[in-house]
Amino acid sequence: MFAGQNKFLQVLRIIWAIIKKDVVVWLRNPANVAATVLPPISFLLVQALGAAAVGRSPVALVNLDNGPQAVQITSSIVNANVFRIFQATPDQAKTLLKDLNVVAVITIPADFSQRFQSHQPDPIDVTVNNLNLDFTNDIRRAVPDAITQYYQAQGGSSPIRVGLVEADLRPRDIELFQYAVIPTTVMLLLIGGLLTAGLATAREWETRTIKEILLSPAQSGVIIAGKVLAGFITTFILGLLVLSIGYILGYTRPEGVYWVSTLVIVALVALFGSGLGVTLGALIQRIRPMIAVSINAALYLFFLSGGVGVLAFEPVWLQNLAAFIPLTYGTHALQMAVFYSSADLLGRDIAVLAGSAVLTLALGVLAMRRRIAS
Amino acid sequence: MSNTLRVIWACARKDIAMALTDRLATIIGLFLPVNFLILMSLFVLGGGQAPTAVVMNDRGPYAQAFVNAMSRAHSFRLMPSSAAQAQNLINQGRIVAVVTIPPDFDTRLQQNQPVNVGVEINNLNTDFTNDIRRAVPLSITLFYASQFPNLVTVTPSEHDFYPQDTDYIPYLSVSILVIALMIGGLLQAGSASAQEWESGTMKELLLSPAQRWAILVGKMLGAFLVSLVSALIVLAVLIFIVGVHPVHWGEVLGFSLMTLFIFIVIGTLIGTLFKNRQPVLALSFGTAIPLFFLSGAFGPISFTTSAIQFIAKIFPVYYAIALMQHAFHAFTLNTLGLSGNLLVLAAYAIGLIVLVTIVLERSTSVH
Repeated sequence: MFAGQNKFLQVLRIIWAIIKKDVVVWLRNPANVAATVLPPISFLLVQALGAAAVGRSPVALVNLDNGPQAVQITSSIVNANVFRIFQATPDQAKTLLKDLNVVAVITIPADFSQRFQSHQPDPIDVTVNNLNLDFTNDIRRAVPDAITQYYQAQGGSSPIRVGLVEADLRPRDIELFQYAVIPTTVMLLLIGGLLTAGLATAREWETRTIKEILLSPAQSGVIIAGKVLAGFITTFILGLLVLSIGYILGYTRPEGVYWVSTLVIVALVALFGSGLGVTLGALIQRIRPMIAVSINAALYLFFLSGGVGVLAFEPVWLQNLAAFIPLTYGTHALQMAVFYSSADLLGRDIAVLAGSAVLTLALGVLAMRRRIAS
Repeated sequence: MSNTLRVIWACARKDIAMALTDRLATIIGLFLPVNFLILMSLFVLGGGQAPTAVVMNDRGPYAQAFVNAMSRAHSFRLMPSSAAQAQNLINQGRIVAVVTIPPDFDTRLQQNQPVNVGVEINNLNTDFTNDIRRAVPLSITLFYASQFPNLVTVTPSEHDFYPQDTDYIPYLSVSILVIALMIGGLLQAGSASAQEWESGTMKELLLSPAQRWAILVGKMLGAFLVSLVSALIVLAVLIFIVGVHPVHWGEVLGFSLMTLFIFIVIGTLIGTLFKNRQPVLALSFGTAIPLFFLSGAFGPISFTTSAIQFIAKIFPVYYAIALMQHAFHAFTLNTLGLSGNLLVLAAYAIGLIVLVTIVLERSTSVH
C-alpha cells in the first residue's frame, strides 16, 4: 500500500517537475509569449478601433429645397441613425466626395416639395463612390431605410401599406466588438495550447534534451502527461486572464451557473489545443516550423469556424465544413453561456469538444511514443 | 567594382541555397502568401448576401412581386421554404432570417389596408442584423416603385462614380495581395538575417574584407529573389484563378516589386534587431492580420474612424494598397495621387535602408 502511494507521489512529482520546467521555459522566452498573445490581442484591438465606424457610412447631405417635405425628409435622413452626416452645399459636397471624405452625396432637389405635393415622381439624387460593394450596398440599403422612415412618420396618411414586424431569435442584440471577443478568446486558447505544448515538445528534440529525459527513470507516459498538462495549465490560465479582463470591461459576464459551463468550455478548448500541440510538436520536432504551422493552423480554424463573421451568413459548403471544426462548438457554447445565459445545445458542444480533446490527446500520446521509440 | 558585385552575388546565392535546403521552410515560404490570400478570402466568402428563408403564405401577384423586390435588394440569398423548414433552419443557425408573407398580402393591398410582413432575425451580431433590418425597407421601396409608382413617389435615384460595381472578392483580394507580399518579404529577409546572428556566421562575414553594404545588399537580393517566386505564384493565383485582371499591368509589376522590396528591407531590419528567427516569425504573423484590417483593405480609410486613419498612415501597407488598387481596378483610395503614394513608399525605402545600416553598424560594435 505504502509502495503504491510512494509510486503515485513520485509520478506526481515528475509530472509537476515537467510542468514547472515547461512553463518557466515558455515564460522566459518573450518571443513565444508574443507569438501566443499577439495575434488575438491585435485582432481585438483592431475590432475595437473599427467597430465605431461599422454600419454608419459618412455621407454629405445637400438640401436645395426649403419646402416642408424637404425639411421633413432631411430630418428623417439625419435621424435615421444609418449615416454619419455632413450637411453641405453642392460645392462642398463635391469636394467631400472627391477627397474621399464621404461615400455618397444625397441631394434633395430644389423642386422636391413641389413634386411631392403634385404626386409626381420625386427622386432623391444619390451619388455613390461605388468602388466596392460593401460600402455601396450599405448606402443602397440606408437611403430607402430613411425614405421608409419618412413615410412612416406620416402615420395613417402614409401611402406605404406594407409594414414590417420584427421578431428576434435572441433576447438581445450583441454589439460587433463584444461579439468578436468570444471567437477571439477561443483563438487565443487554441494558439496558446498549440504553442505552449507544441514548442515544449519540439524543443526537447531540437535541443536533444529528449535523450536525457528518456534516460531518466521517468516513464514515457508520465513525460507525455507532464507535457500535455503544462500546455493545458498555461493556456487555461491565459483563458481565465482574458475572461477576467472581459469581465472587468463588461464584455464577458456570464451569470450564476453559466460561469461553470464557461469554464468547462475554456478548459476543453485548452485541452484540445494542448493535445494538438503535443501531436504537432512530436511530428515537426523543430521550433520555428512549429510556430509557423501553429499560427497558420489556428488562424485557419478560427476563420473556418466563422470567427470573423456570423457562420449563418457563410455559404452552405463553409457551414458544412465548420461543422467538423471543434472551435465552432466552443464558440457557440461560450456565446450561449456568456451572452444569453443559455444552455442551448450545450450537451452537443461539450460532447464534441471533449471527444476532440480526447482524440488529439490520443494522437499526441501516439506521436510522442513513436518518436520516442525511434 | 567587380569584386563588390561578386560579394553581393555570393551572399545572395548563399542565402538562396540556405532557403532551398530547408524543404519545410521553402514550402512554407513559397506558399505562405497564397495561403494568406486563401485564408483572408474566407473572411468575405459570405459577402453581404444573407441566407434568408421565404415563407410564401400567399402566392398572388403582389406577394410574388414583393419577393422579386427582395431578390433585387443586394442583400438576400432567398430560399423558398415551408414555415416548419424555415424554423428548423434558423434554429440550427443555417440561415439569418425568415421572411413570412401573410396569406392576405394581396387582398389587403388591393383593399389599400395595412399589411405586415413578418421578419424573424437571428440577431447574433448588430452589424449583420442591421443589414437585414435595412434591406427589408429597401425591398418595400423597390416593391412600391415597381407596383405602385404613382403612390410612393420618393425614390432614390442612384448615380455611380465608377461604371461598374466591384464585388467583395475582387476588391479585397487585391488588398490581401499586399499583405501576402508583406508576410513573404518579412519572413524571408527576417529569417535570413537573423539566421546569420543565430548561427554566429555574421562574425565571419563581418571579419571578411567584403564591404558591409555589399553584404547587406547581397542578403537583401537573396531574400528578394526567393520572395519573388512566391510573389509570382500569388499574382498568378490572383489573376488566373481568382480572375482579377489588372487595368494597368505595368503598375502591377512595378508596385509589386516596390512593395516586396520595402518589406524585404523591413524584414532585414527586424532580423538584424532581434538576431533570432523566433521573434521574426512571431512579429510577421502577429502583425499581418491587424495591418490587413487597419490599412484600408476594405475601402478608403477616410470612411473609417480617425484613430484607424492615424494608425494606417504610419505603415507602408496603406500606401501600397492604394497603389495596388489603382493598378488592378483604377481606383483612387486617397488624395495623394499615384506620385504621392509612390513618393511616400520611396521615402520609406530610403529611410529603412538608412535604419538597417545604422542597426547593423551598432549590432557590429556591440558584437
